[in-house]
Amino acid sequence: MPEVARAEYLEELANLEASALGGLDLVSAALTRTLEAVEFQDVELAQLVVADDDRIDGRYLEVHQALITLLATQSPVATDLRLISALLHVLKNVERMGDQCVNICKLIPISGNEPPADEEMVGLILSMGRHTKALIAQAKRAFEERDVEMAQDLVRQDDAVDNLNRDCFRLALELGDDADKREWAMTMLLAARAIERTADNAVDIGEQVAFVVTGLFREFEDASHPEA
Amino acid sequence: MLGAATKRKAAGENQGTMSDSPAVSATSTGPMTAAGRPAKTIEARGVNLFYGDFHAVEDVTMTVEPNKVTALIGSSGCGKTTFLRSLNRMHELTPGARVSGEITLDGEEIYGAGVDPVVVRQLIGMVFQQPNPFPTMSIYDNVSAGLNLNARKVPKTQKDAVVERSLRGAHLWDEVKDRLDKPGGSLSGGQQQRLCIARAIAVEPEVLLMDEPCSALDPVATLAIEDLIGELKSRYTIVIVTHNMQQAARASDVTAFFNIEASGQPGHLIEVGPTEDIFTKPGQQATEDYVSGRFG
Repeated sequence: MPEVARAEYLEELANLEASALGGLDLVSAALTRTLEAVEFQDVELAQLVVADDDRIDGRYLEVHQALITLLATQSPVATDLRLISALLHVLKNVERMGDQCVNICKLIPISGNEPPADEEMVGLILSMGRHTKALIAQAKRAFEERDVEMAQDLVRQDDAVDNLNRDCFRLALELGDDADKREWAMTMLLAARAIERTADNAVDIGEQVAFVVTGLFREFEDASHPEA
Repeated sequence: MLGAATKRKAAGENQGTMSDSPAVSATSTGPMTAAGRPAKTIEARGVNLFYGDFHAVEDVTMTVEPNKVTALIGSSGCGKTTFLRSLNRMHELTPGARVSGEITLDGEEIYGAGVDPVVVRQLIGMVFQQPNPFPTMSIYDNVSAGLNLNARKVPKTQKDAVVERSLRGAHLWDEVKDRLDKPGGSLSGGQQQRLCIARAIAVEPEVLLMDEPCSALDPVATLAIEDLIGELKSRYTIVIVTHNMQQAARASDVTAFFNIEASGQPGHLIEVGPTEDIFTKPGQQATEDYVSGRFG
């Protein structure tokens, strides 16, 4: 008998966890390029991000299928079952984050060549992006280390992103009467919104960390009942 | 009630048919509805079980809830079957076997002084791992065997009714109604096990104990028995010992995990709780390791 029973299955599960969480590295890289494309209005780089999203989708499909196979063949229960359930959520979040990068990158050609960019607003969006990258890294680490406290701290970080998003909105209102500039600002608000959603996805991953560890699911922040 | 039934039996009173027996009539209060009937609760408190000098099970305290299926799981030698057998006093049939602690059926001590173990086994029936019908006896006689043992004379019409009701209850009636005179041994393994269940419920027990009832059956027969267990719980309290953890997960409401620290040590009850919790978020690491297959 091997020293650890079901060694192959456990190795497979660990590999799938690494693959799913590795999806967050792909997202982080996509977000870095997306921010660069926003900063320099780089249409070509934006197109590259859109094309590269296939890798993130491919990771989603591949790991998702392998997890379904484990469910079908290994009858996982208890922590293993919770881990697989959580990884399916993580994958969905990874896929959504990748799509948000695509959404932003598709806006860049729309905002036109040499757009009347407002430096302060670009600065805010880049700052949101940097915060969100930190959130993604922290969500990954919290998952790997099964650290519920670290996962809960994501909410605090997410508040910073939300505040920057509101600043973007206020700035857009104050940008004056120039029609081109307002159009650009509207487009950038969509980009800011996509980054804000990406940060929310990182918080969702944090909630899955708590589920894996405690077996209880609860939203860290309930948008429908903010007072509760 | 156990004492009363035993005293009557000891006094040579005619218990008549099962429905006349005090033990059973007390349980058959009110009409049986489709929604089922209230079954009885087994309480084990500080139960220790021994085979001679060997301490097989140590200090088990748990409640077996009525109208629920309770699964006992754990690796071989953990004491789960020994504990199951203690619940209807079959444990004591093994030479040198002893019991300490208290086991009650709705508050009445089943090991109490003056309690007849035969009455206990009538109220708490057992279905075994290997289907064990009387192979040459007819299907009809297999089902009515308990009545013949417990009563001097049961009218044929009443016996017919009990046989039909029991075979229907065990989901076997439609398959055997035209060959009730054929030997029990002529049935398939799954049918034989359902015949044994029909035999067990013919004497109207309160509790059904099942010791790995599906381990000798194919998957189709296994699922048929699991469906049957799900239906029977509306009328009986059911305890099932199984090595098949998926079966425990599928078929039970409550799961109790037994474990031994090392060979030769007594078995302990590690954790008992809703099956859903045991298989999604068990409270003990040992349970987690066992249900996840990380033992050994």
